[in-house]
Amino acid sequence: MKTFIIIPCLNESENIVKVINSVKEYGQVVIVDDCSIDNSYELALNQGIVVLKHYINRGQGASLETGDRYALKHGADIVIHFDSDGQHNSLEIPKLIEPLLLGKVDIVLGSRFLNSTDSTPFIKKYFILKPAILFQNILLGLNLTDTHNGFRALNRNALSKMHIKQDGMAHATEIVSLIKEHDLKYVEVPVTVSYNEFGQGFIGGLQILKDLLFSKLNK
Amino acid sequence: MNYLPLQIIVTVFSLLVIYRLIKKFKDKTLKIGEFITWFLIWLGVLVVFWVPQTTSYFAFFLGIGRGVDLAVYVAVLLIFYLIFRLYLKADKQQKEITKLVRHLALNEREEDNE
Repeated sequence: MKTFIIIPCLNESENIVKVINSVKEYGQVVIVDDCSIDNSYELALNQGIVVLKHYINRGQGASLETGDRYALKHGADIVIHFDSDGQHNSLEIPKLIEPLLLGKVDIVLGSRFLNSTDSTPFIKKYFILKPAILFQNILLGLNLTDTHNGFRALNRNALSKMHIKQDGMAHATEIVSLIKEHDLKYVEVPVTVSYNEFGQGFIGGLQILKDLLFSKLNK
Repeated sequence: MNYLPLQIIVTVFSLLVIYRLIKKFKDKTLKIGEFITWFLIWLGVLVVFWVPQTTSYFAFFLGIGRGVDLAVYVAVLLIFYLIFRLYLKADKQQKEITKLVRHLALNEREEDNE
């Protein structure tokens, strides 16, 4: 099985080498540098992996799509989306891709809230994430326990059908809606996320809503 | 009240815009639908400034008190619509930029491999 690990990267010189080394053993690492202004790009290049460069900052969704297209073109059987800030735990990759290897599903989504050791900050969990999950489930008619968790794995079937058009952070919601649209089989597996920063706030959430609304109007 | 100076200023401005519209249409940078829409809008502006009673007639027809109120309502609606159109256009251009940036990123990698 040819596995590609897609890591969008923006100004992560502090973490990028550590993250690359932690995932290297699980497949071909593809870093998509989204026009970093620090030396993330050079650091990644020195690791002897595939590094794609966006000459203009386009957002995390756009970076993932660039990595996905590269992987698809180079015969990927499995693609893993992984964050560059060290929030995800690479040791959980085998657990994440297991349902794909067994041929049970097309896409595996990591979920923070299936895990009893979840360490999501209280305000973020109950005032931002949980309402967002509820809203997403009502809107899309799915039953997910997490939203906007960037740790996920796709098989070739899902990869060839899913084209991320949301350049910014709304891509996570878009991916969920694409699962529904293409009737892909999915499963959630518990993963841990360690929080370095607060991440998406309320304003970020509003931006995502705005992006989704305009994408419907501007097809 | 004497509106003549304002009527002259608006007329000169409107004629300038109409002249530019015709020029753009001749240069084929405006489609016929766009040209007719914009031409009618600026023609409407001229009619409103030279025959203000027309707005009163339409205002009465729509149940609005004064003609000038109708003109303001229509202008505000039109501005909102144009902002919306511009926003959609900007969003579309952003998507096109993304496509270009992606194409460049993937191509550069392939060239490095060769």
